[in-house]
Amino acid sequence: MKKRTKSDIRRDQLIGLAVFLAAWEITAQIMGNKLVLPAISQIFAALWDLISSGELILALGESIWLLIVGLTISTIIGFILGALVARSRTAYWMLNPYFSALFATPTIALVPLVLVWFGFGFPGRVIVVVLAAVVPIMFSVASGLRDDPKDLVDVARSFGVKGELALLYRVRVRAALPVLLAGLRLAAGRAVVGMAVAETYLRLGGIGGLIKAYGSMFQTDYVFAAILPLSLLGITIVSIIGRIERKLHWT
Amino acid sequence: MKDTMLETPAIELKGIRKTFKLSDSRDADTVLALDDVNLSIRKGEFLTIIGPSGCGKTTLLRIIASLEEADEGEVIVDGEPVTEPGTRRAMVFQTFGLFPWKTVIENVTFPLMIRNFPADEARNTAMRHIKRVGLEKFVDAYPHQLSGGMQQRVGLARALSTGADILLMDEPFGAIDAQTRELMQEELLRIWEEERKTVIFITHDLDEAVLLADRVLLMSRGPGKVREIIPVDLPHPRFDYDVRAHENFAKVRGHIWHQLRNDLVQQREEEVS
Repeated sequence: MKKRTKSDIRRDQLIGLAVFLAAWEITAQIMGNKLVLPAISQIFAALWDLISSGELILALGESIWLLIVGLTISTIIGFILGALVARSRTAYWMLNPYFSALFATPTIALVPLVLVWFGFGFPGRVIVVVLAAVVPIMFSVASGLRDDPKDLVDVARSFGVKGELALLYRVRVRAALPVLLAGLRLAAGRAVVGMAVAETYLRLGGIGGLIKAYGSMFQTDYVFAAILPLSLLGITIVSIIGRIERKLHWT
Repeated sequence: MKDTMLETPAIELKGIRKTFKLSDSRDADTVLALDDVNLSIRKGEFLTIIGPSGCGKTTLLRIIASLEEADEGEVIVDGEPVTEPGTRRAMVFQTFGLFPWKTVIENVTFPLMIRNFPADEARNTAMRHIKRVGLEKFVDAYPHQLSGGMQQRVGLARALSTGADILLMDEPFGAIDAQTRELMQEELLRIWEEERKTVIFITHDLDEAVLLADRVLLMSRGPGKVREIIPVDLPHPRFDYDVRAHENFAKVRGHIWHQLRNDLVQQREEEVS
């Protein structure tokens, strides 16, 4: 098989998209039931309505803010716990089971507890995002820092880098960066899910709130119009991190 | 020749002793790696250290570099006892020790940036030494894009550009293929003949030990000790003639091999019994 160039891939994707949209439109026209399957044109009309009324921008802003705060807190907590677990075997065996359990538990199952403990305001929503995102970050920090680049630490020391903190950020963290970013990318994907869960199950708000609100009014075209930016948001965040990853990776 | 007896030695080792624990547990057995190592190295001297594997030669170099602490004894650099790595000593590593995320120029400027040199001054100094080792076409390459020999040239350029007058080299050509190694030996000697830095060079290659050295330090193992120091009387520049064909080369090499061989045979007998 001949190797595919970038433009080949782009062409294939465009053909796929065109076929998909055409099939959708035809099916929708035949069914003629806007409630079950709105036509592409109706979805775009709804999307335009959401944009021009400012509703979408407002919701997006709220969601992105929630993501930023949630991911930042996850990164800080994940980094501290990960570094602790990487440094101490005792901490590793003490904490690891709980984090594995948290990783395996669907975030949505924890929402009732968060509601009881932290209420349904912004802090509660942030907690849900953190619960979804913190574990992959912690795991990646732990595994990244556990493979200690002893030789390079010696190199740095021999050329005058002094102190644990300087060695940590000049050598250990930098050497672990590809692993850390892979963890952050995974965490970002989970954070988007956590965000949508928090916005639909705690208190309506952001993109998740839009979807839930229009869903309960059976305005399916608006539901689709809100899902579209949500998945775009997820894709964008993950691909930005992927891009940084490629830039910082050395092979 | 100058009277070297009156001059302060570049490096002096006094009663260096080092033990290692065999495991991390608190009451683990210890093994004596170095015992009472005393040594004095003249300024501008090229000293090679050779010995059977496990004789502690790398440990000794790490102690000289202050990367490891001796249990007893002192490392004295130019009359001053040292306990921390310093700018007078620069190390060249067996596994090259290049940061894989840094380009050639970034690796070479690293020690200067740590010492807060202005960026353009660091760059100029680094470029001069990169040119010296013939890598000016690869300044922006990453280590993984270079061959082993080229990577070690970067390691050498990095050590030289620090301006240190003592080079500590830990089997620097050990991981490089035989032909490239010969070329590297020639380049190193050429640079040394120009600058007369003090060099301590660990090797397990007998030819290399004799070829480069003013004096060869032969170590014995279990525990690591100075067994003998053998002066090498071969004229410089050594690559202008066939050094290996020189009668002194054969004499010194034969002498050291005889000693090394005894150690190796003894070691094997111990292992068998």
